[in-house]
Amino acid sequence: MSRGGYTGKVLRVDLTAGKVSSLDTSTYEQWGGGHGMGSAIFYDLCTDKTVDGFDPKNVITIMASPLSGTAAPAVAGRTEVQAIGVQGYPVGWFTRSGFGGRFSGMLKYAGWDGIVVEGKAANPVWIDVRNGDVQIRDAKGVWGLDTQETQEEIWRRVRGTGDGDWVSLGESRDSGRTTQRPAVVTMGRVGENLSRTAALIHDAGNGAGQGGFGAVFGSKNLKAISVIGTGGVVIADPIALMDARTWVSAYTLSGNIDHYKPASPPKGMPLAAGPGSATLVYGPKDQASAPQGCLGCIKSCRARWQSGKSNGSSCIDIAYYMGWDKKAHVAVTQTTLDAGDMAQRAGINVYELNAAIIWLVTLNKMGIVGRGKQIESALPYETVGSTEFVKALIDSIQDRTDVGADLADGVARCAEKWGRYEQDTKTGICPLQYWGYSQHYDARTEVEWGYGSMLGERDVNEHDFNNLCYWLPSLAAMAGTEPAISAKEMAAIMGEKLLPYADPTMIDYSDEGIYSESMVKLVAWHRHYGRFWKQSILYCDWAYADLFNVYGPDGRGCSPEAEPKFLNAVTGGTMTFEQGMEIGRRIWNLDRAIWYLQGRTREMEVLAAYSYETPAVPGSQANSAIPTYVPALENGEWIYKNVTGRSLDRAKVEAWKTKFYAFEGWDTATGAPTRKTLESLDLGKVADDLETASKLGK
Amino acid sequence: MKGTDMHEPVKKGGGTTSATAVMSRRQFVGGVGAIGAGAVFGGVFVGGFMLPDKVLAIPASKGYLLVDTMKCSGCDSCMLACSTVHHGQANLSLSRIQVETDPFAAFPEGIVQQQCRQCPFPACVEACPTGANHVDTANGNVRTVEVSKCIGCERCIAACPFTPARVLWNNDEKHSQKCDLCTDTPHWSEDGGIGGKQACVEFCPVKAISFSEEIPAQSDASGYQANLRKDSPVWAKLGFPVSDSGAMSPAPPAPAVAATATPAPGK
Repeated sequence: MSRGGYTGKVLRVDLTAGKVSSLDTSTYEQWGGGHGMGSAIFYDLCTDKTVDGFDPKNVITIMASPLSGTAAPAVAGRTEVQAIGVQGYPVGWFTRSGFGGRFSGMLKYAGWDGIVVEGKAANPVWIDVRNGDVQIRDAKGVWGLDTQETQEEIWRRVRGTGDGDWVSLGESRDSGRTTQRPAVVTMGRVGENLSRTAALIHDAGNGAGQGGFGAVFGSKNLKAISVIGTGGVVIADPIALMDARTWVSAYTLSGNIDHYKPASPPKGMPLAAGPGSATLVYGPKDQASAPQGCLGCIKSCRARWQSGKSNGSSCIDIAYYMGWDKKAHVAVTQTTLDAGDMAQRAGINVYELNAAIIWLVTLNKMGIVGRGKQIESALPYETVGSTEFVKALIDSIQDRTDVGADLADGVARCAEKWGRYEQDTKTGICPLQYWGYSQHYDARTEVEWGYGSMLGERDVNEHDFNNLCYWLPSLAAMAGTEPAISAKEMAAIMGEKLLPYADPTMIDYSDEGIYSESMVKLVAWHRHYGRFWKQSILYCDWAYADLFNVYGPDGRGCSPEAEPKFLNAVTGGTMTFEQGMEIGRRIWNLDRAIWYLQGRTREMEVLAAYSYETPAVPGSQANSAIPTYVPALENGEWIYKNVTGRSLDRAKVEAWKTKFYAFEGWDTATGAPTRKTLESLDLGKVADDLETASKLGK
Repeated sequence: MKGTDMHEPVKKGGGTTSATAVMSRRQFVGGVGAIGAGAVFGGVFVGGFMLPDKVLAIPASKGYLLVDTMKCSGCDSCMLACSTVHHGQANLSLSRIQVETDPFAAFPEGIVQQQCRQCPFPACVEACPTGANHVDTANGNVRTVEVSKCIGCERCIAACPFTPARVLWNNDEKHSQKCDLCTDTPHWSEDGGIGGKQACVEFCPVKAISFSEEIPAQSDASGYQANLRKDSPVWAKLGFPVSDSGAMSPAPPAPAVAATATPAPGK
């Protein structure tokens, strides 16, 4: 039992019965927190895992970690959501989505390690958590509002007019006081309309975007969850924690201000990237702003703007429309920020908008979608890049009008309904590369992204290798500059840091390497690391894993030392990095078992046809026009190789899958986990359940 | 309340910069209360004063926190650090600096950093009936609460003229507390206090809080707000405004980079 970090209780709300109770965290502490805990709780409480995501029997878990709410850097504000999703195609797999901000911290201050929501309320409700006092409240006056209006209304209801003074949460002197606004997570109107594009939004720019969890909320008649807490998170060894934070600041811009050097790449993901780095690259250069950061963050990678639009939004939230804005107006304008803001207020998954715009604009150019065309649409396609166009598109999805009537069910099902899914995902004009999710990074070039997505259930959205094995060399190539680190040295770092496999050839993205055993190890490492350290302990994807860092000794980043250092300072434990990786493997296998109970087969684990049939050309499926350079080991030499134009060989991918299944201890014929593997992970009961369902691997 | 009223009338509006001005306690509290603790007549600073019959010098603090709300990212690292180093738990409600964020507001609005001002004429010290809230002359005259003497009357909290009150109630340990410039931080390996380090300053990742030995101007809030951006070697480079008003400077000319760079051969 940990001496710090956990509160000891998970809130459990049964909306059908209108009942509030709790679970003991101690039952689930073995899973770490976040996703691991959420999957395990889901496994126990959702007894029929074949139900549809819209079914009241679906169970949604919204989980903090022992580090939530603490001074551990770039981790304390993240929250993980798990449930059977409704976005995945052709099956709404059990899935996950994370969001930043301060919700998980506030949950901990209120005394909770997470929230589980079951059933369906008879009428629209919102859940009001004030420390240990939890009420299910009528959502009249809140249902129908956009995500910003919802939060402002709930703040009014919970803490009054917001004059910033101390407010007591109870009647007595010691009830607990706060100056803070409640932390609210909410769906927008698209969730009320059960659109599969519906996200969950928190504050201005934090979103659990993928999976359609906004619609899962909607299917439960749940508008929002509000949390305000006045307690604290006990730290087992606070001196060690604050010393660790001082130690890690040497790897960040704030710890190196007087000898600042740009991170590599300079924006976005790296721990060493500076404040605002997730946003300033996408916003209008002449607009004043300041950084905006999640709870306890040491980077503060978002921004807050003079226009007040897209505050706190990062990356694709704004970037989904930036390319179109730039094309129409030469430079990035206010339109980009307006587009991000509209998507956040509507509560729409911007990746669905990303794919929809690429696809529809192409179909319009082809004369298939438009006024008087085969697919009738009055949207102003000729003005794409304008605020007018993106507003019309978002409104159509919110109101289920025009193409929105079909797009509201997600891009994949819209394409299926129009009879275009097969052909358009074969040519790639509909860029849904994995499980009906918009291409994010290209499976053809950056294979660990594609393979991880294919073997999982969604776009992985984990940038650990994308940062170093794509952006670093590709940006350098584009600028004609020396990469900050050679491919050989990068491979050496990987060989040191990617425990337990510690094999430099893991980042060989050559045409042979991408089908090799080394790539098996990279993908396995990535799944296990992601499942535990990132999605369960909740270390932010935009700081960790810190493998190469411009401020580190010989470029060595602070991983894998940092991850266990902060965790153990908070909990008083002695976990090693490798032990965490093993828990990650356990969580990965539990998720795998759930997918097999849902009907997963080996045959379903394929990428979209265009991955095999068309070459990767910059700008075709994504807005990026950057050619892809990746590390490759060729003729015994490490180089950064231009793999633009590559496509995958179907037979070789299948052979690689067999290698992967064998490595993970799964049935190579079906991909299902075997009893031997599950029992070795203390998941014997899961093996029994798979056997009962005739899904157990042999 | 302790003490008795003094009767010497105050010299108002005299524009004096004298180190001594004579006034009654009621006039002091009333006058100060009207325009904010620490403010003086006509905005003129007085470092200390003498009362007839009794010397009641309130020596000025030797340290102050200055903040820059145009730099602050609202990450609350200062609040987490403050509560952790003082109490061994991360707890926003125990933090002696409060940051409040409206995530939807337009820059430069939307974030306020509410630090204790170590007022030259501290109403919280004045209000305390037991001397718990006092000037710690052994530690740079920081205004702080001696916890063992606190009887929980909360007069100090009520007396603070600022919103939110800079003195706060610790509902765990049942006493009031306030910023002591990290004089008493048992859960930190650094030496705190005046002459030492302050956790909020050290752990702010954007350096939006600074420590000053100079007494800030007292007439309004601006004395405690500083432009901590303009002297930063990186702030403008990162794309943020460094002006006092928060407005962007005119854009520098675009760097001379070829529109299509020839990619370097693979290395």
